[in-house]
Amino acid sequence: MNILVCVKQVADTEARILLTSDKKSIEIENKYNMNFFDEFAVEEAIRTKGKVKDCQISVCTYGSNKATEVLRTAIAMGADKAYLLDNNGYDIEDPIITAKILASFAKTEGFDLIFCGRQAIDDENANIGAMMAEFLNIPHVSAILKFDVVDEKKARVESEIEGGKEIQEVQLPALFTTQKGINEPRVPLITGVMKAMKAQINIIDPATLKDLSKGMIDESASKISVLTYETPSARPTVKIIDGETPEQKVKALIDILKDEAKAL
Amino acid sequence: MSKEIFVFVECKDGSIRKVSYELLSKAKEISQKSSSIVYAVIIGSNQDVLANQLKDFADKVLIVDNEKLSKYRWDTFLSVMEQIIKKYKPYVMFGPSTTTGKDIFPRLAARLNGAIISDAVDVVFDENTLKIKKPLFGGKIISWMKCKDDSTFFVTFRPNSFIVENRSLNGELIKENIDVSEDSRIVSISTEKRETKKVDLQEADFIICGGRGMKGPEHFQDLEEIADIMGGRVGASRAVVDSKWRDYDDQVGKSGKTVSPKLYVGCGVSGALHHTMGMDTSKVIVAINKDPNALIFQYADYGIIDDVFNVLPALKEELKKIKKEI
Ligand SMILES: Cc1cc2nc3c(=O)[nH]c(=O)nc-3n(C[C@H](O)[C@H](O)[C@H](O)COP(=O)(O)OP(=O)(O)OC[C@H]3O[C@@H](n4cnc5c(N)ncnc54)[C@H](O)[C@@H]3O)c2cc1C
Ligand SMILES: Nc1ncnc2c1ncn2[C@@H]1O[C@H](COP(=O)(O)O)[C@@H](O)[C@H]1O
Repeated sequence: MNILVCVKQVADTEARILLTSDKKSIEIENKYNMNFFDEFAVEEAIRTKGKVKDCQISVCTYGSNKATEVLRTAIAMGADKAYLLDNNGYDIEDPIITAKILASFAKTEGFDLIFCGRQAIDDENANIGAMMAEFLNIPHVSAILKFDVVDEKKARVESEIEGGKEIQEVQLPALFTTQKGINEPRVPLITGVMKAMKAQINIIDPATLKDLSKGMIDESASKISVLTYETPSARPTVKIIDGETPEQKVKALIDILKDEAKAL
Repeated sequence: MSKEIFVFVECKDGSIRKVSYELLSKAKEISQKSSSIVYAVIIGSNQDVLANQLKDFADKVLIVDNEKLSKYRWDTFLSVMEQIIKKYKPYVMFGPSTTTGKDIFPRLAARLNGAIISDAVDVVFDENTLKIKKPLFGGKIISWMKCKDDSTFFVTFRPNSFIVENRSLNGELIKENIDVSEDSRIVSISTEKRETKKVDLQEADFIICGGRGMKGPEHFQDLEEIADIMGGRVGASRAVVDSKWRDYDDQVGKSGKTVSPKLYVGCGVSGALHHTMGMDTSKVIVAINKDPNALIFQYADYGIIDDVFNVLPALKEELKKIKKEI
């Protein structure tokens, strides 16, 4: 069985993020991690490998050279092969293009099973998984909470739906996006980290992939564009509600919420 | 080029979700500026009653009624949406950034080779373009984006981004006869619905959120009671969810849900960045914490520095009184 995991390198939530003076681009402090939800995807692939015969896990990312770090993290956790789909340092805005590139890579290599994270914590799009599945013409299930391989051709999954959960059987090849709760991602062992440091990262120019050309994936192909970036308006300083007793404080709070904040 | 605005109406447990009314209200506001009209698209089975409720909010209501659509599946819904879009060629289609919206919109955009902006919070019509506001990096940066060409444009918005306005439009009801195709590669084995009549966390106008300062699961009963009085919901910090005091479904924050209620009350929540990223778009934030240096006071509009267990009983009583007055 061939498994692909798509991982994204994202800015750490603590990283400082600044606007350039023309407000056309952003600068991110050099603190990056593997996307939170992608850790569950890598972990689920490793657990699946432990349950089926002849299984190989590839991880890929579409990003800059720096993104090889997340590939190494995935290898340290237990993935076998890593691919950097090199964006030459240029971040494309249009998620459709990212999905096309990842799908095209998946098509070129051929996979039975693809895992993505539920969403990236930087853009919060939750786009790429379902889009990739569409481009590959395979079924997808979003936000899975349990995963089992029934046989070579079928998986059984539990997923989050509006107001509940659903169990489905899905014919492979298929794509699944992982939600928190599916597993506890492992922390790489030192031996894994050593292996990852030496691991070979395959670097691919996306324009050379099946059915793709430069014109289809460069800036001119992007259907959306950013007009400007802003920093959010700062919240006014907090008003601490005074009072002798908790009861007095609550009364004063309620009055303010009614009269000033109009929140009640 | 037609400028029609389509809104995908999401239903849940036999009623139309509030977020759908929000999107229709905003769509109408824009359509008045761009001299276009608003279509509501409702897909399901036996929805005449619901479709009628939409008449006030849209110029036209497209109804696709088919028993194969009684339950949401991306494959069936997608086949319907695809045909509707190919037939009407709308300028833009709005949808909710909910579990369902996040599942279907990306795949729809990919199938139709459209443009998509997901998880937006505002839209303005200016210089003949739709400008879409979308927070990035958990709200640290705001971006304004637009669609560059004339491909079909899809935008999903977070619940609670817009105000509901009934304009009594008395829109026309149009039944669409559309074949529904199912993807046989997916078979549903069973579904399990949580038994709750409570409003969805992301749609709630009032959220009272408990943190580790609540000391244990048993104390969340107080929060439940207050949420019930206010018709809102209880939220939880990750520390609380990780301790298994509350379900993950209640988690507010970066790795949980992003919420923007009219009023958020944090009880014993420290206000770590990962938490505030999921709630700092709330209209009014109140924090109750015994530590005057707690980070949450940097985000709150109003704060009470005290032991939460001393404050909650009084809060419950006062809110009860208010609800009686109304
Ligand atoms: C990748 C990642 C993702 C994360 N995602 C999330 C997320 O989505 N949501 C989230 O919430 N967190 C998230 N976290 C965790 C986050 O960083 C914090 O650890 C967490 O929010 C802290 O929860 P807390 O405020 O309940 O607990 P604590 O930080 O322990 O705070 C408890 C607070 O209660 C106060 N208190 C104690 N007793 C009382 C009392 N009797 N009366 C009044 N006040 C009292 C204390 O002063 C303190 O401020 C994430 C962390 C990581 C690394
Ligand atoms: N540049 C990328 N390279 C590899 N995988 C990605 C990339 N962007 C997104 N993904 C995958 O798609 C998921 C959803 O991302 P998004 O649609 O950006 O929220 C992520 O959790 C990743 O698994």
